[in-house]
Amino acid sequence: MLEKLSALWAVLKRPSIKYSLITLLSVGFASGVFFWGGFNTAMEATNTLEFCIGCHEMKDNVYQEYKTTIHYSNRTGVRAYCSDCHVPKDWSHKMIRKIKASAEVFGKIMGTIDTKEKFEEHRLRLATNEWARMKASDSRECRNCHSFDAMDIEKQKARASKMHKIGLEEKQTCIDCHKGIAHSKPKNMPEEEE
Amino acid sequence: MKKSTLSLSLAVIGVLFAASANAAPDWSKVPKRDIQAFSPATASIEWVMKKSDHSGRTGMVKGETCVGCHEEKGGLNFDMKKMASKEMEPAGAPKTMNFPVTVQAAYDSANAYIRLTFKAPAGGVNKDDKDNDVKATVMFANDKVAVTAGDKSVSGAQVGCWATCHGDSRTMPGADANKTKYTKDGAYELMQWKSAKGAKAIDGSVTDKRNMEGGTAGVSATGDNKGGTYTVTFTRKLNGALGEGKTVPFGVAVHADHASGRFHHVTMGYTLGFGAEGDIKATKQ
Repeated sequence: MLEKLSALWAVLKRPSIKYSLITLLSVGFASGVFFWGGFNTAMEATNTLEFCIGCHEMKDNVYQEYKTTIHYSNRTGVRAYCSDCHVPKDWSHKMIRKIKASAEVFGKIMGTIDTKEKFEEHRLRLATNEWARMKASDSRECRNCHSFDAMDIEKQKARASKMHKIGLEEKQTCIDCHKGIAHSKPKNMPEEEE
Repeated sequence: MKKSTLSLSLAVIGVLFAASANAAPDWSKVPKRDIQAFSPATASIEWVMKKSDHSGRTGMVKGETCVGCHEEKGGLNFDMKKMASKEMEPAGAPKTMNFPVTVQAAYDSANAYIRLTFKAPAGGVNKDDKDNDVKATVMFANDKVAVTAGDKSVSGAQVGCWATCHGDSRTMPGADANKTKYTKDGAYELMQWKSAKGAKAIDGSVTDKRNMEGGTAGVSATGDNKGGTYTVTFTRKLNGALGEGKTVPFGVAVHADHASGRFHHVTMGYTLGFGAEGDIKATKQ
C-alpha cells in the first residue's frame, strides 16, 4: 500500500514531458473554475428557502411563524430568506457556519426535534444558541440590510425612535432587543438584565 | 328676633357659599382631551417589565413612560394584531381593540370633577358582569407607587394602573379566582361608576388588595347613555393624592358589554394637574 502511494507521489512530482505548460495551466484553470463553481453552486443551494424547508422540522414550525412576519411579506416587497439572517454573507464566516451547521444533520438522523413537542422542548436552547451567535457577531446578518448610519431615527415611530436612541447611546446590538421578530419566542424565557 | 334673623342670614350665606364652592363645572368651558382605551389582553406588569416580552422595559428603567413611546398622533402605535393574538389573549380578543375616551377635569377648593365621554363597544368576549352593561373606573396613584424589576424601579407616573395588574390576579390565565388586583409598593385611590340602576358609586382603593369601599374621597358619580355614548361624571373631594398644586398619575378603565375582571379597556397612565403641570390640566372653577 505504502509502495503504491509512493509511486503515485513520484508520478505526480515528475515534470510532464507529454503536455505543454500552457495545456496544463489551461486544463488546471478550467477544472478549477468548474470545481469551484460547482462547490459554490452546491453551497448556495443549501442557502435557498426550498432547501431549508426541505425538512419538516423547519417547514412545520419556524417557517409557518416566519410567514406571518414582516421579513416574509411587507409593503416594499423585499423578502429576507432564512439564510439572509442565519448564514453569513462573507466566505470565511459562511464556511465556518456551514461546517457548524453540518452537526444539524446528526440531529436530523437522531430525530432530536422531529415532533412539535420535541421542537418546543428544544426551542429555548436552539434560539439561545442563535441569539448568542448573532450577539457575538454584532448582529452582522441584520446589518447586511439595516444600519444605524442609514436609519433616519426622527422619521420613526416614537417607540422605535426612543429605543434606537438608547440603543445607539449604549452601543447595543440589534438582537439585544429584536428577538422573536421572525419566529415565536420560546416560552418561559429567562429574565434578562439591562 | 334680630339674633335669629342674623343666624338665618349667615346660614343662607353659608349654604350659598358652599353651593358655589361645590358647583358642578360648566363642562362646555372645560377643555377636552381624547385618550385611547385599549384591550390590554394579558399584558400584566410582569409582562411590561420583562425585557424578553417587552423590550420597552429598557426605556422604562431610564424614566420613560408608556405614553411617551406608545401614544402617537392621538392614537396608539401598538401592534394590535399581536395584542389580539392567542398568545397575548388566550380567551379571544374583543371586536373593538381600542376606542377614544374624552377626559375633562375641573376642580374647586373642595372637589375634583372628572367627566369621561365614550362609546362603549359591543363585541366583548367576557360577559360575566350580568348586572352592569358598562362600568367606568378611574384610579389615582399615590407617590409611593413603585414597581421594581431587578435593581431598577419605575414609578406610578410612568406605568399608570399597571402597578396593580399582575399575572396572578383573577381572570388571568391559571390565576386564583379570588385574588384581586394589588400593589407591592404604594396605593391607588379608586372610583367607579356602574351602569346598573341604583348602583352606588365606588369609593375604594388598591393596596395589597382591591378595596371596593372605605375610601375617604366621598365619591359620587352620575352617568347616562345617549345612543351608545356614555357620559360619566365623577365628583370627589380634593384630598388624598389629589390637591391644589399637585400632579397625580391616573388611568381610566372601561368595562364594556358586561365585561368583568381584566376584560376591560384601559388607558395608559396620564397625569392630571390641579394648578400644576400634567398631561391634562384641571380647570379651576
